[in-house]
Amino acid sequence: MEQSRRYAKSHEWARREDDGTVTVGISAYAVEALTDLVFMQLPEVGATVNAGESFGEIESVKAVSDLYAPISGEVVAVNAELPGRLETLGEDPYGSGWVIRIQPADVGQLETLLDQAAYDALVGGESH
Amino acid sequence: MTRPPFEGATAGTSAPEFCGLTVWRDPPAAGPWNMAADEALARTAEQSGRVLVRLYGWQPDTVSLGGFQPFAESERQSELAGWPIVRRPSGGGAIVHGSDLTYCLALPMQHPWSRRPEDLYTAVHGALVDELCHRGVAAAMVSAELAATVPADNFFCFNRRAFGDVIITTSGGGTMAAGSKVLGSAQRRLAGVVLQHGSLLLRRHPSMGGAGSHAGLADLADGVGGGSSKLVVCWLSRLAERLGGPLTEMPGVSWAADDTDLPRRARWYAADDWLRRR
Repeated sequence: MEQSRRYAKSHEWARREDDGTVTVGISAYAVEALTDLVFMQLPEVGATVNAGESFGEIESVKAVSDLYAPISGEVVAVNAELPGRLETLGEDPYGSGWVIRIQPADVGQLETLLDQAAYDALVGGESH
Repeated sequence: MTRPPFEGATAGTSAPEFCGLTVWRDPPAAGPWNMAADEALARTAEQSGRVLVRLYGWQPDTVSLGGFQPFAESERQSELAGWPIVRRPSGGGAIVHGSDLTYCLALPMQHPWSRRPEDLYTAVHGALVDELCHRGVAAAMVSAELAATVPADNFFCFNRRAFGDVIITTSGGGTMAAGSKVLGSAQRRLAGVVLQHGSLLLRRHPSMGGAGSHAGLADLADGVGGGSSKLVVCWLSRLAERLGGPLTEMPGVSWAADDTDLPRRARWYAADDWLRRR
């Protein structure tokens, strides 16, 4: 079980890296639920994101979904290859399918997110 | 990056209170106003925890683009010359509005139907299929297998076939009109609410030709499209039943008269930053 990842209720995950940045992606559950992804729009490096607010959008065949920042901070890296290889989100959502990296304004915000067990309970409940 | 619609939308919470379906019949309006009114409906649904629908038309007739369709593609469609164009916040393909009935359904994210996009499609579209079949019309939802055989990137929504789209397989008069799509929908999924747009094609648009011209209910099933108002009430009543409550038809319009944000958001939807975002 992955202990270092935290999750937002809106299904983004966040993981603190050794350099102090926080990597953000989309949970496997959310990717599977969206199905047939066709387009993704991401922020630019240097953009400021606020916890709980939209930082990007992803389109599947019939739905556009907002991506919400799990924590506040500055975007220091964007997975620029992702929009051209959306299948990566399904193949490796917690590795090469990462979306953005944030320099957190307050790393303590990570503690407000769901841990693995709480997220599993959330999506377990949603799948029944 | 272009600022997204639903500015300031966050992962809010509200107490769910699912008790049927509340519907407004709004007067026809211009595209940007309709998009802003849909946004206002979504906020009301999120805050109230109720499932809300508004039905509306368009004045003037308008083409709406899916949220990420390249604007340049609309410029390459010769049949769209001179048509007003608006961009929806929802996905999917371009729709010619003017001979259709458009709906916007706002579903709080706490509702079980919000969890997967196809759950809400199936509920809304299945209710229409049930009503059409009850009236003797050979209607069905597109299967995943059929959807996989049709390119998903056609410019016009009604030339696409996605899982759950409602098609008429034969006309009431017995003339084959295999697989004519009469209802297509697309969603915008936010943290607190799902907004689902849909277009029920009532009849072929009289001044649209080429790839944008599609037969509607009245063309495919005698006597059904002409009685569209009653059909829609029966359709939504079936949907309300699936929600476990009554259909409540509201007087007046869906937005608050003193909502000063609505005109501002309509201007935002009309601006090139949004219209030509891609």
